[in-house]
Amino acid sequence: MKADLYKLPELNKTKFENRGKEFKLGIPVTNAVTIGNSIAVGFGDGTVRIFSSGQSSEPIKAHKGIVLCMSKDGDNILTGGDDGCFLKISLDGKINEIGNFGTRWVDHVTANNGSLVCTSGNIVYLWMPNKKEPKLLEHESTIGGVAFDSKGRKLAVSRYGGVTLWKKDYSNKWTSSNLIWKGSHNKVIFSPDDRYLVTSMQENQLHFWRLKDKIDSAMSGYGAKIKSFAFVDDSKYLATSGANDAVCWPFDGDGPVGREPICLPYVGNKLVTFVEPFPNENAILTGLSDGSVFLSEIEKASNTIIIRSFTEFEVSAIAVTKDCSHLLIGDMGGNILWTSIWDEEKK
Amino acid sequence: MEETNKQVPVTVLTGFLGAGKTTLLNRILTEQHGKKYAVIVNEFGEQGIDNDLVVDADEEVFEMNNGCICCTVRGDLIRILSGLMKRADKLDAIIVETTGLADPAPVAQTFFVDQDVADRTKLDAIVTVADAVHLSTQLTDHHEAEEQIAFADVVLLNKIDLVDESGLEVVKERIKKINPFAKIINTTKCGVSLNEILNLDAFSLKRVLDVEPDFLTSDHDHEHDDDVTSLSFVSDTPLDMEKFQDWFSKLLQTKGQDILRTKGILDFTGESDRYVFQGVHMLMDASPMGKWPEGKERSSRLVFIGRNLETMNLKEGFENCKSA
Repeated sequence: MKADLYKLPELNKTKFENRGKEFKLGIPVTNAVTIGNSIAVGFGDGTVRIFSSGQSSEPIKAHKGIVLCMSKDGDNILTGGDDGCFLKISLDGKINEIGNFGTRWVDHVTANNGSLVCTSGNIVYLWMPNKKEPKLLEHESTIGGVAFDSKGRKLAVSRYGGVTLWKKDYSNKWTSSNLIWKGSHNKVIFSPDDRYLVTSMQENQLHFWRLKDKIDSAMSGYGAKIKSFAFVDDSKYLATSGANDAVCWPFDGDGPVGREPICLPYVGNKLVTFVEPFPNENAILTGLSDGSVFLSEIEKASNTIIIRSFTEFEVSAIAVTKDCSHLLIGDMGGNILWTSIWDEEKK
Repeated sequence: MEETNKQVPVTVLTGFLGAGKTTLLNRILTEQHGKKYAVIVNEFGEQGIDNDLVVDADEEVFEMNNGCICCTVRGDLIRILSGLMKRADKLDAIIVETTGLADPAPVAQTFFVDQDVADRTKLDAIVTVADAVHLSTQLTDHHEAEEQIAFADVVLLNKIDLVDESGLEVVKERIKKINPFAKIINTTKCGVSLNEILNLDAFSLKRVLDVEPDFLTSDHDHEHDDDVTSLSFVSDTPLDMEKFQDWFSKLLQTKGQDILRTKGILDFTGESDRYVFQGVHMLMDASPMGKWPEGKERSSRLVFIGRNLETMNLKEGFENCKSA
């Protein structure tokens, strides 16, 4: 047994913590999703809470065990859990069970224009708008992630050995093609301009495909698995976790091949565990393994400010309200900070 | 893979269909009152499992994209263990039941390769349930049966009431020939004290020091080249660290696929600490583990379990590592 010698330094609270509201719930935060000016948070005890105007709703008992994944469909929350349920939850807490897969976990959920998707094992279940029965898209191995493009005509499904790219034709028929790269692929996202597809892998690297010509390449050099990554400022940068810096790859022009990423350093040499783009800005919110959160301008690292100081628990969720007035931070220790972003005089 | 109290122990139950895995599982779950277990199964529904938290998995073996063909992991375990670690209530232990024909190596390697898994859980032990009546035939017919014995920390030799004494001795000798480390426990209907199969910490380096294997003479004979066997070496002459590292890393790089498990305690010239290691195929956990005990002779001991060991010139390689 090793004694834990790491002691938290005494640090004053940030102005965001001073003027914000802290909730010490003690339940690991697994997900957060913005719905208008509310933020829905999923927890490791299967509950969902809605935060708005600095208030938390009563816990909504959504799943038996863990809220594994979360997304939204319009003003509704979508969740998948280890109880095998795929749920649609309204902001006032009404639960509608869309699918139930028993002892098989619902690992991923997403939606686009009324089409709802969840995955369980190696199958994508796709509910087209107003259809009761889902369409089943089967894959050779367990699904690591799923994403719609902006128009909802393409569905990328990451798995062992690459990505299956499903396309919907105008008669609503889905056909698939394969993007191959050896290894196990986890989370997948499209760039907001739909030009690129990016996956994180079981190895400490990312992989991307440029869809018009299928050029692909790895982005490597990370010390840990990349659990969080997102496009920033439309599609100009891809911000990534998995290193002591927030590593931001350039995706403008011809993309990142042969170009260096911008690395945003943070004090303390902790691992970046979460990145969240700041809406409509060339900036990101970065969460670290010790619970601290920073706001950084990508092209001007000196403009980094600290939002939250240490909690000693890894940051597992960050979300910004639609009007960009408030943000929410959650960590694996169940600490939540809700705070306004702008100083009073700037309002 | 060094321990902290935050890591949840994971026990892996292997064994052929019908050997009694589910009987053992239910025994664990019903006898351990007040403990919270998660059970990960791959043959769900075959027999009832008496637990709140049963997770259905597919045994998905992934090759890591790192150029090493024997570096395989269980993708489903990474996903499920990472998920379970987000639970609000803390688990006392996790039990993974594998299918009868599973190779235990990818399960064990998952705990070496995936950092998230290694940070939050630890492989406690591989417990193989074997049917005393059928094990001999299974060992001849299925390489998976050999691997399950080769990787075992504990072999629960079940249904001993159905074989006579000489038959039992034959089976036990066969197990020992494959794996001199495994503790063999005779049972009927998996009747075993649970502290003999749970919380063993068998994969910690500290435990390598505690377990004295049944060292065998190396003049055993082979029925097939395919056979999994073990070879062990002892030296009272200290080893040269550089020579040993050079030999051993090359050996694992080139023969790692055939070497299933290795364990060793090493005495290096000029080093006051004991060096301890244990490995699965090419993956290795090694560390100095404190001073040699006072009054006890320093010596190096090395054990290999694998296939085609006799073709690897292990004795010569080991001899060459001795300090001049």
